[in-house]
Amino acid sequence: MAFEMPTETTESKIREVSLGTGDVKVGGENVLPFYLFDGQMPNRPLIAVEVCDDNPQGWPPAVMEPLADVISDPVVWAKKAQDEWGADLIALRLKSTDPKGDDKSAEEAAQTAKSVVEAVDVPVIVYGAEDVEKDGEVLKAVATATEGKNVLLGPAVEDNFKTIGAASLGYKQSVVAKTPIDVNLAKQLNVLLSNLGVDVGSIIIDPTTGALGYGLEYSYSVMERLKIAALQQDDGMTQMPLIADVGWESWKAKEAKAPASEFPEWGDESRRGVFWEIITASCLLMAGANIVMMRHPDAIKTVRKVIDSLM
Amino acid sequence: MENDMCRVCFHPEERCIEVARGENLLRAAMKADVHINASCGGEGSCGKCRVIVEKGDVKQKLGVKLSEEEVKQGYVLACCSSIESDLEVRVPIETQIGDKSALTRRPPIPLKGYTLSAEDWAKRLPQWELNPPTTKRHLIMEKPTLEDNLSDAERIKRDLARLSGMNDLVIDYPMLQALPGMIRASSFDVTVTVLDRGSDLRAVRIEKGDTTLRQAAIAIDLGTTTIATQLIDLQTGKVIAEAADYNGQIPYGEDVISRIIYSTRATGLAKLQSAVVNTIWNLIQEMVEKTNIEFCSITHLCISGNTTMTHLLLGLDPRYIRVDPYIPVAQYFPWIKASSLGIRIASGVYLHCTPGVASYVGGDIVAGVLASGMFNSEKMTLYIDIGTNGEMVLGNKDWMLACSCSAGPAFEGAGVKHGMRATRGAIEQVRINEATLEPMIITVGSKHAVGICGSGLIDLLAEMFLTGILDERGKVNVDLDTPRVREGNNGGEYVIAWAEETGTHRDIVITDVDVDNLMRAKAAVFAGINIMMEEVGMTLDMLDEILIAGAFGRYLEIDKAIIIGLLPDVDTEKIKFVGNGSLLGSYLMALSGNLIKEAERIARMMTYLELSTNAKFMDQYVSALFLPHTHSKNFPTVMRRLEEARERARTARGEAGGSDN
Repeated sequence: MAFEMPTETTESKIREVSLGTGDVKVGGENVLPFYLFDGQMPNRPLIAVEVCDDNPQGWPPAVMEPLADVISDPVVWAKKAQDEWGADLIALRLKSTDPKGDDKSAEEAAQTAKSVVEAVDVPVIVYGAEDVEKDGEVLKAVATATEGKNVLLGPAVEDNFKTIGAASLGYKQSVVAKTPIDVNLAKQLNVLLSNLGVDVGSIIIDPTTGALGYGLEYSYSVMERLKIAALQQDDGMTQMPLIADVGWESWKAKEAKAPASEFPEWGDESRRGVFWEIITASCLLMAGANIVMMRHPDAIKTVRKVIDSLM
Repeated sequence: MENDMCRVCFHPEERCIEVARGENLLRAAMKADVHINASCGGEGSCGKCRVIVEKGDVKQKLGVKLSEEEVKQGYVLACCSSIESDLEVRVPIETQIGDKSALTRRPPIPLKGYTLSAEDWAKRLPQWELNPPTTKRHLIMEKPTLEDNLSDAERIKRDLARLSGMNDLVIDYPMLQALPGMIRASSFDVTVTVLDRGSDLRAVRIEKGDTTLRQAAIAIDLGTTTIATQLIDLQTGKVIAEAADYNGQIPYGEDVISRIIYSTRATGLAKLQSAVVNTIWNLIQEMVEKTNIEFCSITHLCISGNTTMTHLLLGLDPRYIRVDPYIPVAQYFPWIKASSLGIRIASGVYLHCTPGVASYVGGDIVAGVLASGMFNSEKMTLYIDIGTNGEMVLGNKDWMLACSCSAGPAFEGAGVKHGMRATRGAIEQVRINEATLEPMIITVGSKHAVGICGSGLIDLLAEMFLTGILDERGKVNVDLDTPRVREGNNGGEYVIAWAEETGTHRDIVITDVDVDNLMRAKAAVFAGINIMMEEVGMTLDMLDEILIAGAFGRYLEIDKAIIIGLLPDVDTEKIKFVGNGSLLGSYLMALSGNLIKEAERIARMMTYLELSTNAKFMDQYVSALFLPHTHSKNFPTVMRRLEEARERARTARGEAGGSDN
């Protein structure tokens, strides 16, 4: 008799969440990430390409250079991300609404979001400026302007989940629930959102993820614990797909952006930053990220290959 | 006995309950879980708790707020009526819910606050016998002659040996000094107090004539936040007075750690010692004034406190308790002269401090375990003392494991805006109507409410959570349609009593910050329980009994403590309330030298588990910072009840919406 591999299977699985109005789905796996010898991952992890609604400040030249022709127009940027870089999703960041920066109005930002959503075929994630108060206002306006498009709004945090949750509920959108690197807190926010009436099948967890060298191993362990609770303990409030804000975190790292002129031993910074983003994304995919939000076209290309080779 | 019970039926709920004759009608309604609006605490001044006695007799306080017409119709104020016979009582709709908008009613939550009775103690502690560590002996001695020329001291020893078989007695030095004058002034008719220190017998005091009938002792629970005392008549073994107050050391720091830090300052230790001695002395005075006992009748004190409090009382340097590897000066303490600590009492009065286990499991826990009788029992028992530190002991007569976690003083009423100890005017029971969100409160002594004590806080949190006033995070939902919720200086708040109904003429509220403090306390306790069970590889269903001790008030509603996730969701029959275990243990030891020996054995037998180094504690703690708990699966009965309450709320909203149109 031929040798048969023993498999560890679970009854539980990660919820399959539909994004946008087409047939893009995320999650649905009944195994730990890429344990295809044990079970199934019906949906590939997705790459969301980061698009900013204003000229991003403080991004290093290595990442600005390939974006030069699109940086001033989020619609053009999003279309290029979809058409040339193969974005599975667009992650629009409404940085212009930041009260500490341009403080643009919610309505203006909502119009931008609407044009991006209408310009691309792939589903869209809309993040606020991560200002607790303003995000509530902005995302509510976005939800209204894009009603019925099933946009993934976020991040909803403990102090604004009511507004954002209600907006996603009222205008049939999905929501990202973000908590500071803790399994319990992630679960608690999901309970609060679902008590508000938000469908648990439309929630994605952002567990807050660090970049390589900045708490990556801690993020890894929290994500792994979330998956284990979801699959092995059948914990319904952790069975949401995970999203990781990779580009944002990676390009903040000093090691990713410091010029070689200052640290010659670190090597060419135009490649170093890309590597930083690739490694962070690959690790977080291994930890269980179902969506990675990424920035550099070369990093995106490579991570896609990584996913291909693992599936 | 049957004649002393009355059956009271409330309509339209059709809920009946047996209560003792003379019970207050409002309390009876609370027991039956029948909602009657009542906001003045039972003082009779708000006039809201009007009910109609359709059958039977009640005795009413005079001068209640009712018109002649109402009296004719049978109206009484529930809070001012004591039950004299079987009753049929109708609760008019406006009394029940304040308005006519909603008729949904929740099923009753029966009171399950089982408190151990005196009979229970007798069964649990066969070692107990009335045999106080000090005894008084009346001696009429023969006067010395040229032939019988023993010294005064040897003469007393000879008589004590002859009369009571007390051999090898040592006479205390101050007593020697008093001896020649005293025995001659009283014509050799004296009473000698003998202290059994375990290691030796010591004559500590001599008095004129026969004072054997006047002998009293003091039991003290020396808490970080609260000090509770009892004055005990050693003739009868009865507590004849009680008094409690906040520990005078609180201004120097709220928890043991900040007190230890303060003690390391110059004169810090002396200041802390004198602060606690002052509190104790004031309490002793207060008790003595309430009774006809004289100071000179007090022969000994039994004190149980946590390790740090015991150190500070005795003036022992506690600084090494705080730093790794956490070493106290001593676990076992000798009998000490009370006067040497600055307690202004006769020099022959000694005090005994209950031995501790480790730096963070002290004599208060040993005393509680002693009183609980768990060290005699086959049953697998979890003893939980909820104080400023939450301590837990797991085990039975064969082994015991103890641990401690920092809970904070919230359940003792400290760190809560309108928190207070369970004294007169403290709100001790709360119900909230789920349709109108109006409260029903009962206060200690049925006085105008002045604050909320621990049992009231537990009740309040549970009721607010069940009625949706609090969300799972413990935040007040200020969007609710009632003036009782509002934004205050400390976030959202719920008004339990309006200024005109209170004894303080200020609104009594509970705020988001208060709830936060209570949540932290309950989370620490619950995390401690879980880690301890995990350490020994046991699950909660393996426990036969859970005993709860703490200075919340007169009783604890077990169901409510489970609803807020302070206690695990297990069969409530298994859970019993001990009351103040530390005080009870001190009381028992004051009466029984055997138990002082047993306490030593208990302290030796307990193994200490250090939680501060446990990596899982933080995770357990954060998961418990939620109502009832992040892992709601472990609270099936609470979740069921919550779901039912939410369902009723939805139905009520639907109906109310319909009637508006």
